[in-house]
Amino acid sequence: MMSERPLDVLIVEDEVLLATELEFLAEEVGFHSVGLAMSSDEAVALASDLHPDLALVDVHLRDGPTGVEVARTIHDDCGGVALFMTANVKRLPEDFAGACGVIGKPYSEYGVKTALAYLTVCLREGLAPGPPPIGLELSPAYAERWGLSASMPRAG
Amino acid sequence: MTDILRSEHAAEELAAEHGVGDPFAAAIRAARMAMIVTDAHQPDNPIIFANDAFLALTGYGRDEVIGRNCRFLQGPGTDPAAIATLRRAVADGEDLTIDILNYRKDGTTFWNALSLSPVHGKTGRIDYFFGSQVNVSDKKRAEFEMGDARDRLEAAVEARTADLTQALQQKTALLHEVDHRVKNNLQLISSLLLLQNRRVTDPAVKNSLRGMLERVSAIATVHRRLFQSDDVERFDVSAFVRDLVSDMMGTARREDIKVRLDLERVDIAASKAAPLALVISELFSNALRHAFPPEAMNGRAGEIFVGITRQDEEFRIEITDNGVQPENSVSSGGFGLTIVQLLCQQLKARSETTPADPGTRVVVRLPINGGHH
Repeated sequence: MMSERPLDVLIVEDEVLLATELEFLAEEVGFHSVGLAMSSDEAVALASDLHPDLALVDVHLRDGPTGVEVARTIHDDCGGVALFMTANVKRLPEDFAGACGVIGKPYSEYGVKTALAYLTVCLREGLAPGPPPIGLELSPAYAERWGLSASMPRAG
Repeated sequence: MTDILRSEHAAEELAAEHGVGDPFAAAIRAARMAMIVTDAHQPDNPIIFANDAFLALTGYGRDEVIGRNCRFLQGPGTDPAAIATLRRAVADGEDLTIDILNYRKDGTTFWNALSLSPVHGKTGRIDYFFGSQVNVSDKKRAEFEMGDARDRLEAAVEARTADLTQALQQKTALLHEVDHRVKNNLQLISSLLLLQNRRVTDPAVKNSLRGMLERVSAIATVHRRLFQSDDVERFDVSAFVRDLVSDMMGTARREDIKVRLDLERVDIAASKAAPLALVISELFSNALRHAFPPEAMNGRAGEIFVGITRQDEEFRIEITDNGVQPENSVSSGGFGLTIVQLLCQQLKARSETTPADPGTRVVVRLPINGGHH
């Protein structure tokens, strides 16, 4: 485990202060940040060039509420895993647009770090180490893929 | 012999059978209800008898109706479906009652509640048809007016409902937009504090920034919880405490301190959520940061208890630690204590701090209906 290369993360967020702090948090958990995208075009370009292991995607980007389509493209065309980070959890499509889950804003430092550490295990092992921590909600498809019951209720 | 003559002849036969002395015939002649008899044996079923009431209703003279089929009462406004029904009943020799629009001689219309019955002779054949007519125009007009009024009312209700639905959709969209902005701005404030905390090295400044970050996080947790529930007016205090404690304990990384929770489900008005959340956050943080200095633990297990119960007309929130009692203040520099005192004043709540031997017990009592006074 210790000798494995760090997982690559792409941050898709149009608030530069949020993105900068999120980059720090991700690196503290052991991710390697490959870049920051502020619009859907940038996000898709970076994702298809760099093939990050995980993309943290806000729904509202510089060019509008395009984050959902970004997540879908990353999943469908780049074969990547997207994770939503949004204040509008309730407005996400039922299938999470192919994303593995969502962290609701406003998140806490501890909440994000716990969620990212949890996802590191999921991505590396292909199996969840247990139920997701508070603040992280997995999509039904990924919950099933990572060995959790697909019928988990949405966090209430 | 012409049709008219045949009809007159038939009429005479009928009259001969039911002469002046026949009380039934006399009754029909004098009845206030319009009545006719037609001859089913003649082609086109002509009228051979009409009483005075019929003539009064239709405006025709007797010589104008005898020998004619009664379709002369129909006009352009008569419903073709009603005419077809009438024809079918005559052809099949069946009873019929139907409302049909008829025309008087002067061209004016009336609604005719027509009853038609075949009259069978001794052989079982149909000899005559007996028809009675009642002018039901007033009833019909009332029906139409009621129908119109109902249609207008339904249209008005429909339009109003559409307006309200649209207004509700706009309001919901606006609420989501505001909620979204509040959450993003709270995230922005947290990020600013975290970023600055990365830069500074002075422990006192770091401590202050940590304190502020905790307060912002408490408010952020409130907002995350507020719109998760179905009722945006109410706030589940116990669910908030679970989130808050999980977050603070995770951040503190103090394996030597355990938390015990005894939380009754308690809902408060959303407007009180943020101040109460700050009070709880401040008290819990104070216990966590000041009751258990690592140098005083000596392998002892620390415990913080958070209890929420409803007692009579009050919510009782207790936060008790079994650590050391700090000299006097709730938090370093006394700012935390000030916040708790001010917010309790705002919430009309009472806060009481007593020794727990060992440790400190703080009980906050919040009146349940305080917001309505």
